[in-house]
Amino acid sequence: MITVQNLSKSYGSFRAVDDVSFTCRPGAVTGFLGPNGAGKSTTMRIIAGLTPQDSGQALVSGVPYREVPNPGTQVGVLLDASAQHAGRTGREILTIGARTMGLPLTRVDEMLELVSLTDSESKRRVRNYSLGMRQRLGIAHALLGDPKILMLDEPANGLDPAGIHWMRSLLREYANRGGTVLLSSHLLHEIQIIADEIIVIGNGKIVRQGSKDELLDAAGTYVQAEDPSALARALTAAGLTASPQGQGLATEATPLEVGRAAAAAGVVLVELRKADGEGLEEMFLQLTAPNQRDQFTNGVPA
Amino acid sequence: MSTTTAPATVDTSAPGVPLSRLVRVEVRKAFDTRAGFWFSTSILILCALALTFFVSFVPIDTLTFTNSTGVAGGVLGYFLPIIPILLVTSEWGQRTGLVTFTLEPRRSRVVLAKFAAGVIISLAVIVVAFALAAGILGIGSVFRDGSVDWSISGHLIFNFVLSNVIGVFLGFAIAMLLMNSPAAIVGYFVYSLVLPIVVGIVSGLVEWFRDLAPWIEFNTAQNPLFTGDMSPTGEEWAQLATSGLIWLVLPLTFGVLRLLKSEVK
Repeated sequence: MITVQNLSKSYGSFRAVDDVSFTCRPGAVTGFLGPNGAGKSTTMRIIAGLTPQDSGQALVSGVPYREVPNPGTQVGVLLDASAQHAGRTGREILTIGARTMGLPLTRVDEMLELVSLTDSESKRRVRNYSLGMRQRLGIAHALLGDPKILMLDEPANGLDPAGIHWMRSLLREYANRGGTVLLSSHLLHEIQIIADEIIVIGNGKIVRQGSKDELLDAAGTYVQAEDPSALARALTAAGLTASPQGQGLATEATPLEVGRAAAAAGVVLVELRKADGEGLEEMFLQLTAPNQRDQFTNGVPA
Repeated sequence: MSTTTAPATVDTSAPGVPLSRLVRVEVRKAFDTRAGFWFSTSILILCALALTFFVSFVPIDTLTFTNSTGVAGGVLGYFLPIIPILLVTSEWGQRTGLVTFTLEPRRSRVVLAKFAAGVIISLAVIVVAFALAAGILGIGSVFRDGSVDWSISGHLIFNFVLSNVIGVFLGFAIAMLLMNSPAAIVGYFVYSLVLPIVVGIVSGLVEWFRDLAPWIEFNTAQNPLFTGDMSPTGEEWAQLATSGLIWLVLPLTFGVLRLLKSEVK
């Protein structure tokens, strides 16, 4: 369990984290989603006791991180896979971790195997690692002490699609055993694959949080009819607002509401579904657009 | 990990990371990179070269064990303090501090462990340097005509170890203050090479400063450890204490306090 309450942190006049509250429960993978510079890493550093907060509190199972004895064995943390001495081998980095935590060195081999780093790869110096290999090493390091809580900052960054799916099954299994997982990403796609709960952050503030399904429902409906203009009239008559998308219409209403409106007007539908993938993507862009570094433009005329 | 779904809780009564384990890890970290390993090794190689040169070419009547250890001590005096500097600053330069302070959030214990590791490594290097001095002198004396004076005073050994431990302490203090490898190494050489020259010049020109210098300037204050009868007077010990406060205790206190409050990135 990770509990963050009214957490704030400013750098000068810049509010990096602004009154952030959320809870990560055991048995679920919580995705922390937000554009670059939204405050994800600062929040995670505060949770790990590396950055002092201005106000509010961050607790792991009810205790500030800095009061957790031998924390590596209780909370696994990966904040930056590249923050390792480039001249050490992967195996040596895990060995140092195992020695600090007082673990048998057999754990090092077990973890290397778990993250599929081969024996020869483990003996290479980290400066020769790809970002994906560093992420695997970082995940191995976080899991070294068999912790009950995992906190990973951008762990999928640099992983290939197969790597992302590997991580999903790894974290899913971990959560199913009662573990708590908080992981961050600036890519909705990654979070959608891996997480059960989603917290969206922009400009230091939480803009939306809930289960993935809830947020997917909130993303609205896609509908297509035999006669598009009849459908548009039917939706307007039912008080639902819709906008053209592809061959059909996108609306924030639920599929049930849309279906009822169409049936009442006798409109023949050819497609009616939750606006999943793209819908959530659009929601993410909407939620974070005012907070994005780059403003969106409506395309540049050729 | 159990296979049943149980609420994850943190055990606050579990034992923390013992200091001895932290010290062992810090010693290991000083040698597990090529840079770290070769730095310590290079100091000893340099010692051996200087000793070989010394034993081969100095007049036979100055070829004593005391002088040989002095040659080894000269090399160590310059380079030994860089070991604790790298031990501290690499946590920032290589950003390993992120992991180090996550595994042991009680930062003062990490500082203590690093200091202990610096002292342990330095003492080991000193012992090896002494052995090199004896070995190379022993071999050299076979090829040189005349006899070699093997006597050595306990004073000298004590002062030799003391001044090198002070050097390690100083490197550690500068590193904690600056938190940056190049800056700390340059800072250390400015302190050990440039500062004494400046103090010497000013002391030659300004009479009141000549009297003040040993009280505030740590290099000057350490001179009595190596000159004359090598046993500092009460006043000279007091000078070591006051200048040591300025050059060791103040930067170290400031550095530690800042580390305890600051953000690790």
